[in-house]
Amino acid sequence: MPKLEKELMIKNEQGLHARPAAMFVQIVTKYNSNVTILKGEEKVNGASIMGILTLGAQKDSKLKVEVEGDDAQALLDELEVFLKREEI
Amino acid sequence: MKTTDFLCPKAISADLKGSKKEDVISELVDLFISSGEIDKKHKKKIVETLMAREALGSTAIGQGIAIPHGKCECVKKLIGCLGVSKKGINFDSLDGEPAHIFFLLVAPVDSAGPHLKALARISRLLKDKFIRDSLKSVTDEKMILKIVQQEDVRLSKL
Repeated sequence: MPKLEKELMIKNEQGLHARPAAMFVQIVTKYNSNVTILKGEEKVNGASIMGILTLGAQKDSKLKVEVEGDDAQALLDELEVFLKREEI
Repeated sequence: MKTTDFLCPKAISADLKGSKKEDVISELVDLFISSGEIDKKHKKKIVETLMAREALGSTAIGQGIAIPHGKCECVKKLIGCLGVSKKGINFDSLDGEPAHIFFLLVAPVDSAGPHLKALARISRLLKDKFIRDSLKSVTDEKMILKIVQQEDVRLSKL
């Protein structure tokens, strides 16, 4: 199984609040691959809205996103585009 | 930020009666009114704001939890109320599960940062299944507040 990881910066003005967190999960669940998000020492499941919200990730914070599975590249690409959006 | 920094101690219900989304939101806003946090003249507008936010995408975040939220010029700082529905309510959550625990937030119009911190704290509090089950099973508001206060102490030590 391909395993990819990338550091991504959040560009949304309000950070990963409830709606972007839900949208992130909706992207993840379209694919077969699993996503883990790391922020500092914290590590959460990318398919859990609650997990993502616990990070309290503000604009310009850096996340390490790990994606593992047969469609990892496509998923990582979509997540990268999503996190770069300034307006959500 | 601690949960007790924004949760109004008197705005807690251990037994929400409503069975529809709007009924429950209205009941939760009533908690702010009965506890004196918000004047009832603002109720209609707040409920409309919260329902408009739900229409953009449900605030049910899975595991039986929903966090309806919105802004209103009628508050000077972020405030929260907490309600538990024993039977659970269809809140259009992504995982399809009914929502039992409702943490409703109202923030001043010009704030964004505290909101993100409050969401993080609520998620931290409720990601523990034992806490969720405890909140769902207790029958009085004082116990709910006590559980939240104890968790606040524990989370602050981590």
